[in-house]
Amino acid sequence: MKSKNKIFLGTIILLSLINGYYFIVPYFKSSEKNMENETAELSVSSNKIVNAYTINEEKSNILYAGKIIEVTGFVKEITFLNNRNTIILNSNTQTFGVICDVNPNQKGKIKQLKENQKIRVKGICEGFLKDVILLNCSIDLTPNE
Amino acid sequence: MNKLLPLFFLLFSFVDFDNNQHQFIARQGQVSFFSYTSLENIEAKNNQVLSILDIEKHEIAISMLMRAFVFKKDLMYEHFNESYIESDMYPKANFIGNIIDFDTSTKEVQTKIIRGKLTIHGITKEIDIKTTIKIIDKNYIVSGDFEVLVKDFEIKIPPILSSNIAKTISIKFRFQYKPYEQ
Repeated sequence: MKSKNKIFLGTIILLSLINGYYFIVPYFKSSEKNMENETAELSVSSNKIVNAYTINEEKSNILYAGKIIEVTGFVKEITFLNNRNTIILNSNTQTFGVICDVNPNQKGKIKQLKENQKIRVKGICEGFLKDVILLNCSIDLTPNE
Repeated sequence: MNKLLPLFFLLFSFVDFDNNQHQFIARQGQVSFFSYTSLENIEAKNNQVLSILDIEKHEIAISMLMRAFVFKKDLMYEHFNESYIESDMYPKANFIGNIIDFDTSTKEVQTKIIRGKLTIHGITKEIDIKTTIKIIDKNYIVSGDFEVLVKDFEIKIPPILSSNIAKTISIKFRFQYKPYEQ
Protein backbone atom coordinates (compact mmCIF):
# COMPACT_ATOMS: atom_id res chain seq x y z
CA MET A 1 0.00 0.00 0.00
CA LYS A 2 2.76 2.40 0.90
CA SER A 3 4.69 1.82 -2.30
CA LYS A 4 1.51 2.47 -4.26
CA ASN A 5 1.16 5.79 -2.52
CA LYS A 6 4.75 6.64 -3.36
CA ILE A 7 4.18 5.90 -7.04
CA PHE A 8 1.05 8.01 -6.97
CA LEU A 9 2.87 10.88 -5.33
CA GLY A 10 5.73 10.48 -7.77
CA THR A 11 3.46 10.76 -10.79
CA ILE A 12 1.76 13.81 -9.32
CA ILE A 13 5.13 15.52 -8.83
CA LEU A 14 6.25 14.51 -12.32
CA LEU A 15 3.04 15.82 -13.87
CA SER A 16 3.29 19.12 -12.06
CA LEU A 17 6.91 19.45 -13.20
CA ILE A 18 5.93 18.87 -16.82
CA ASN A 19 3.09 21.30 -16.39
CA GLY A 20 5.48 23.83 -14.92
CA TYR A 21 7.88 23.42 -17.80
CA TYR A 22 5.26 24.02 -20.46
CA PHE A 23 3.23 26.76 -18.81
CA ILE A 24 5.50 28.59 -16.47
CA VAL A 25 8.86 28.56 -18.24
CA PRO A 26 7.51 30.32 -21.40
CA TYR A 27 6.32 33.04 -19.09
CA PHE A 28 9.84 33.99 -18.20
CA LYS A 29 11.35 33.55 -21.61
CA SER A 30 12.39 36.73 -23.33
CA SER A 31 10.88 37.38 -26.73
CA GLU A 32 14.28 38.44 -28.05
CA LYS A 33 15.59 35.02 -28.89
CA ASN A 34 18.90 34.24 -30.44
CA MET A 35 18.11 33.48 -34.05
CA GLU A 36 21.57 32.57 -35.19
CA ASN A 37 21.07 28.83 -34.89
CA GLU A 38 17.51 28.71 -36.15
CA THR A 39 16.91 27.55 -39.69
CA ALA A 40 15.12 29.90 -42.03
CA GLU A 41 11.95 28.77 -43.77
CA LEU A 42 12.50 30.86 -46.86
CA SER A 43 15.38 32.63 -48.54
CA VAL A 44 14.81 35.60 -50.82
CA SER A 45 16.54 38.65 -52.20
CA SER A 46 15.52 42.09 -50.93
CA ASN A 47 14.27 43.00 -54.42
CA LYS A 48 12.02 39.99 -54.62
CA ILE A 49 10.38 40.43 -51.22
CA VAL A 50 9.83 44.17 -51.71
CA ASN A 51 8.31 43.57 -55.16
CA ALA A 52 6.05 40.87 -53.79
CA TYR A 53 4.82 43.20 -51.05
CA THR A 54 4.23 46.17 -53.36
CA ILE A 55 2.20 44.02 -55.75
CA ASN A 56 0.05 42.20 -53.23
CA GLU A 57 0.45 42.83 -49.52
CA GLU A 58 -2.15 40.35 -48.29
CA LYS A 59 -0.81 37.47 -50.32
CA SER A 60 2.76 38.24 -49.26
CA ASN A 61 1.72 38.39 -45.63
CA ILE A 62 0.43 34.84 -45.89
CA LEU A 63 3.69 33.79 -47.50
CA TYR A 64 6.19 35.66 -45.30
CA ALA A 65 4.68 37.18 -42.15
CA GLY A 66 5.48 35.52 -38.86
CA LYS A 67 8.15 33.31 -40.43
CA ILE A 68 11.89 33.20 -40.07
CA ILE A 69 13.29 34.28 -43.41
CA GLU A 70 16.66 35.05 -44.93
CA VAL A 71 17.01 38.17 -47.04
CA THR A 72 20.00 38.97 -49.21
CA GLY A 73 20.61 42.57 -50.19
CA PHE A 74 22.85 45.61 -50.20
CA VAL A 75 23.22 47.84 -47.16
CA LYS A 76 21.68 51.26 -47.71
CA GLU A 77 21.92 52.68 -44.22
CA ILE A 78 22.97 51.72 -40.72
CA THR A 79 21.34 53.60 -37.86
CA PHE A 80 21.49 53.50 -34.08
CA LEU A 81 18.32 55.50 -33.44
CA ASN A 82 16.54 54.86 -30.10
CA ASN A 83 19.42 52.59 -29.02
CA ARG A 84 18.46 50.00 -31.62
CA ASN A 85 20.85 48.62 -34.19
CA THR A 86 19.08 48.91 -37.49
CA ILE A 87 20.14 48.07 -41.01
CA ILE A 88 18.15 49.22 -44.03
CA LEU A 89 18.61 47.11 -47.15
CA ASN A 90 18.20 48.55 -50.63
CA SER A 91 15.78 47.36 -53.23
CA ASN A 92 15.50 48.22 -56.91
CA THR A 93 12.61 50.55 -56.16
CA GLN A 94 13.96 53.76 -54.63
CA THR A 95 11.31 54.32 -52.00
CA PHE A 96 10.96 50.85 -50.55
CA GLY A 97 13.44 48.73 -48.68
CA VAL A 98 13.88 46.24 -45.88
CA ILE A 99 14.28 47.43 -42.28
CA CYS A 100 16.19 44.93 -40.15
CA ASP A 101 16.17 45.33 -36.40
CA VAL A 102 19.36 43.57 -35.35
CA ASN A 103 19.68 41.47 -32.20
CA PRO A 104 22.08 43.10 -29.69
CA ASN A 105 24.35 40.03 -29.77
CA GLN A 106 25.34 40.92 -33.35
CA LYS A 107 27.02 44.16 -32.31
CA GLY A 108 30.48 43.06 -33.39
CA LYS A 109 29.30 42.30 -36.89
CA ILE A 110 27.37 45.52 -37.32
CA LYS A 111 30.57 47.49 -36.74
CA GLN A 112 32.22 45.76 -39.71
CA LEU A 113 29.44 46.73 -42.11
CA LYS A 114 29.88 49.31 -44.82
CA GLU A 115 27.34 50.94 -47.08
CA ASN A 116 26.56 49.03 -50.27
CA GLN A 117 28.04 45.85 -48.86
CA LYS A 118 26.19 42.71 -49.80
CA ILE A 119 24.92 40.84 -46.74
CA ARG A 120 22.37 38.27 -45.74
CA VAL A 121 20.13 38.78 -42.72
CA LYS A 122 17.99 36.25 -40.96
CA GLY A 123 15.00 37.39 -38.95
CA ILE A 124 11.27 37.20 -38.34
CA CYS A 125 9.26 38.95 -41.01
CA GLU A 126 6.54 41.05 -39.36
CA GLY A 127 4.98 42.68 -42.40
CA PHE A 128 5.12 45.74 -44.58
CA LEU A 129 4.53 49.46 -44.14
CA LYS A 130 6.72 51.37 -46.54
CA ASP A 131 9.44 48.86 -45.98
CA VAL A 132 9.43 45.19 -45.16
CA ILE A 133 10.11 44.81 -41.44
CA LEU A 134 12.38 42.08 -40.07
CA LEU A 135 12.92 41.76 -36.33
CA ASN A 136 15.50 39.95 -34.25
CA CYS A 137 17.97 39.74 -37.12
CA SER A 138 21.29 38.01 -37.27
CA ILE A 139 23.83 39.00 -39.90
CA ASP A 140 25.75 36.85 -42.35
CA LEU A 141 28.59 38.94 -43.73
CA THR A 142 29.50 36.62 -46.57
CA PRO A 143 26.44 35.44 -48.45
CA ASN A 144 27.49 32.63 -50.75
CA GLU A 145 25.49 32.72 -53.91
CA MET B 1 0.94 76.25 -80.99
CA ASN B 2 -2.59 76.23 -79.62
CA LYS B 3 -2.69 72.49 -79.97
CA LEU B 4 0.46 72.13 -77.95
CA LEU B 5 -0.72 74.21 -75.01
CA PRO B 6 -2.89 71.54 -73.35
CA LEU B 7 0.02 69.18 -73.64
CA PHE B 8 2.22 71.60 -71.73
CA PHE B 9 -0.37 71.95 -69.03
CA LEU B 10 -0.64 68.22 -68.77
CA LEU B 11 3.11 67.90 -68.43
CA PHE B 12 3.31 70.55 -65.73
CA SER B 13 0.48 69.08 -63.75
CA PHE B 14 2.49 65.90 -63.31
CA VAL B 15 5.68 67.62 -62.31
CA ASP B 16 5.32 68.76 -58.75
CA PHE B 17 8.38 70.90 -58.21
CA ASP B 18 8.60 71.48 -54.52
CA ASN B 19 6.57 68.59 -53.21
CA ASN B 20 9.53 67.11 -51.39
CA GLN B 21 10.28 70.09 -49.23
CA HIS B 22 6.99 69.93 -47.41
CA GLN B 23 7.07 66.29 -46.59
CA PHE B 24 9.10 64.63 -43.90
CA ILE B 25 9.37 60.95 -43.13
CA ALA B 26 10.21 58.85 -40.09
CA ARG B 27 10.71 55.18 -40.80
CA GLN B 28 11.93 54.27 -37.36
CA GLY B 29 9.52 56.03 -35.10
CA GLN B 30 9.15 54.70 -31.60
CA VAL B 31 5.82 53.89 -30.01
CA SER B 32 5.52 52.15 -26.66
CA PHE B 33 2.62 51.32 -24.43
CA PHE B 34 2.30 50.51 -20.74
CA SER B 35 -0.27 48.77 -18.64
CA TYR B 36 0.24 49.14 -14.91
CA THR B 37 -1.70 47.02 -12.46
CA SER B 38 -0.86 45.84 -8.98
CA LEU B 39 -0.39 42.30 -10.32
CA GLU B 40 1.67 42.87 -13.41
CA ASN B 41 3.30 45.59 -15.46
CA ILE B 42 3.19 45.11 -19.18
CA GLU B 43 5.32 47.13 -21.51
CA ALA B 44 5.89 46.86 -25.25
CA LYS B 45 7.91 48.83 -27.76
CA ASN B 46 7.71 49.22 -31.50
CA ASN B 47 10.76 50.79 -33.10
CA GLN B 48 9.67 50.55 -36.72
CA VAL B 49 6.74 52.92 -36.88
CA LEU B 50 6.26 54.78 -40.13
CA SER B 51 5.13 58.38 -40.16
CA ILE B 52 4.83 61.14 -42.72
CA LEU B 53 4.60 64.77 -41.72
CA ASP B 54 3.36 67.39 -44.16
CA ILE B 55 4.33 70.81 -42.83
CA GLU B 56 2.37 72.70 -45.49
CA LYS B 57 -0.94 70.96 -44.87
CA HIS B 58 -0.13 70.54 -41.14
CA GLU B 59 -0.93 66.88 -41.52
CA ILE B 60 0.55 63.85 -39.84
CA ALA B 61 0.02 60.21 -40.77
CA ILE B 62 1.24 57.24 -38.75
CA SER B 63 1.14 53.54 -39.45
CA MET B 64 2.52 50.64 -37.44
CA LEU B 65 2.53 46.88 -37.45
CA MET B 66 1.02 45.32 -34.34
CA ARG B 67 3.34 42.33 -34.67
CA ALA B 68 6.36 44.58 -34.43
CA PHE B 69 5.69 45.33 -30.77
CA VAL B 70 8.37 43.70 -28.66
CA PHE B 71 7.41 42.47 -25.19
CA LYS B 72 9.56 41.30 -22.31
CA LYS B 73 7.93 37.89 -22.36
CA ASP B 74 6.89 35.60 -25.18
CA LEU B 75 3.52 34.84 -23.67
CA MET B 76 2.55 38.51 -23.56
CA TYR B 77 3.38 38.82 -27.24
CA GLU B 78 1.27 35.78 -28.00
CA HIS B 79 -1.75 36.96 -26.01
CA PHE B 80 -1.50 40.44 -27.43
CA ASN B 81 -1.39 39.35 -31.06
CA GLU B 82 -3.64 36.33 -30.97
CA SER B 83 -6.32 37.12 -28.41
CA TYR B 84 -6.53 40.86 -27.92
CA ILE B 85 -5.45 42.74 -31.03
CA GLU B 86 -6.05 39.85 -33.46
CA SER B 87 -3.11 40.83 -35.64
CA ASP B 88 -4.00 38.43 -38.42
CA MET B 89 -7.24 40.30 -39.01
CA TYR B 90 -6.03 43.77 -38.08
CA PRO B 91 -2.28 43.84 -38.70
CA LYS B 92 -1.91 47.62 -38.47
CA ALA B 93 -2.79 50.55 -36.28
CA ASN B 94 -3.14 53.89 -38.03
CA PHE B 95 -3.44 57.52 -37.15
CA ILE B 96 -4.23 60.48 -39.37
CA GLY B 97 -4.43 63.91 -37.85
CA ASN B 98 -4.06 67.65 -38.14
CA ILE B 99 -1.70 69.71 -36.06
CA ILE B 100 -3.79 72.61 -34.80
CA ASP B 101 -2.14 76.07 -35.06
CA PHE B 102 1.13 74.54 -36.24
CA ASP B 103 3.71 77.31 -36.63
CA THR B 104 6.21 76.26 -39.28
CA SER B 105 8.20 79.49 -39.16
CA THR B 106 9.46 79.23 -35.59
CA LYS B 107 12.56 77.32 -34.59
CA GLU B 108 11.50 77.04 -30.98
CA VAL B 109 9.97 74.10 -29.20
CA GLN B 110 6.20 74.21 -29.48
CA THR B 111 3.44 72.28 -27.76
CA LYS B 112 0.44 71.65 -29.97
CA ILE B 113 -2.69 69.56 -30.10
CA ILE B 114 -2.99 67.01 -32.87
CA ARG B 115 -6.60 66.16 -33.61
CA GLY B 116 -7.23 63.07 -35.63
CA LYS B 117 -8.49 59.58 -36.06
CA LEU B 118 -6.85 56.61 -34.39
CA THR B 119 -7.59 53.13 -35.71
CA ILE B 120 -6.76 50.09 -33.58
CA HIS B 121 -8.32 46.65 -33.85
CA GLY B 122 -10.42 47.86 -36.80
CA ILE B 123 -12.13 50.55 -34.73
CA THR B 124 -11.68 54.25 -35.37
CA LYS B 125 -11.85 56.88 -32.64
CA GLU B 126 -11.48 60.64 -32.70
CA ILE B 127 -8.68 61.69 -30.41
CA ASP B 128 -6.76 64.79 -29.32
CA ILE B 129 -3.10 64.32 -28.52
CA LYS B 130 -0.84 66.88 -26.89
CA THR B 131 2.54 66.86 -28.59
CA THR B 132 5.87 68.55 -28.39
CA ILE B 133 7.39 69.58 -31.71
CA LYS B 134 11.09 70.36 -31.90
CA ILE B 135 13.28 71.34 -34.81
CA ILE B 136 16.90 70.24 -34.83
CA ASP B 137 18.96 70.93 -37.98
CA LYS B 138 15.81 71.45 -40.04
CA ASN B 139 14.54 68.03 -39.00
CA TYR B 140 11.40 67.69 -36.96
CA ILE B 141 11.05 65.69 -33.77
CA VAL B 142 7.50 65.01 -32.63
CA SER B 143 6.90 63.37 -29.25
CA GLY B 144 4.27 63.01 -26.59
CA ASP B 145 2.05 60.66 -24.67
CA PHE B 146 -1.64 59.95 -24.26
CA GLU B 147 -4.02 57.38 -22.86
CA VAL B 148 -6.60 55.10 -24.41
CA LEU B 149 -9.32 52.96 -22.89
CA VAL B 150 -9.13 49.25 -23.69
CA LYS B 151 -12.91 49.00 -24.03
CA ASP B 152 -13.05 51.81 -26.61
CA PHE B 153 -11.43 49.51 -29.15
CA GLU B 154 -13.58 46.49 -28.36
CA ILE B 155 -10.66 44.46 -27.12
CA LYS B 156 -12.00 41.52 -25.20
CA ILE B 157 -10.07 40.39 -22.15
CA PRO B 158 -11.16 37.19 -20.41
CA PRO B 159 -12.42 37.78 -16.82
CA ILE B 160 -9.56 35.71 -15.33
CA LEU B 161 -6.97 38.05 -16.81
CA SER B 162 -8.86 41.30 -16.39
CA SER B 163 -7.01 42.09 -13.17
CA ASN B 164 -3.67 41.74 -14.97
CA ILE B 165 -4.43 44.31 -17.63
CA ALA B 166 -5.12 47.96 -16.93
CA LYS B 167 -8.33 49.61 -18.08
CA THR B 168 -6.41 52.55 -19.45
CA ILE B 169 -3.25 52.04 -21.44
CA SER B 170 -0.70 54.82 -21.64
CA ILE B 171 1.04 55.29 -24.95
CA LYS B 172 4.27 57.15 -25.61
CA PHE B 173 5.65 58.11 -28.98
CA ARG B 174 8.66 59.77 -30.54
CA PHE B 175 9.25 60.41 -34.22
CA GLN B 176 12.42 61.78 -35.71
CA TYR B 177 11.79 63.01 -39.23
CA LYS B 178 14.01 63.36 -42.24
CA PRO B 179 13.20 65.15 -45.51
CA TYR B 180 11.26 62.83 -47.75
CA GLU B 181 13.25 61.90 -50.86
CA GLN B 182 11.20 60.20 -53.51
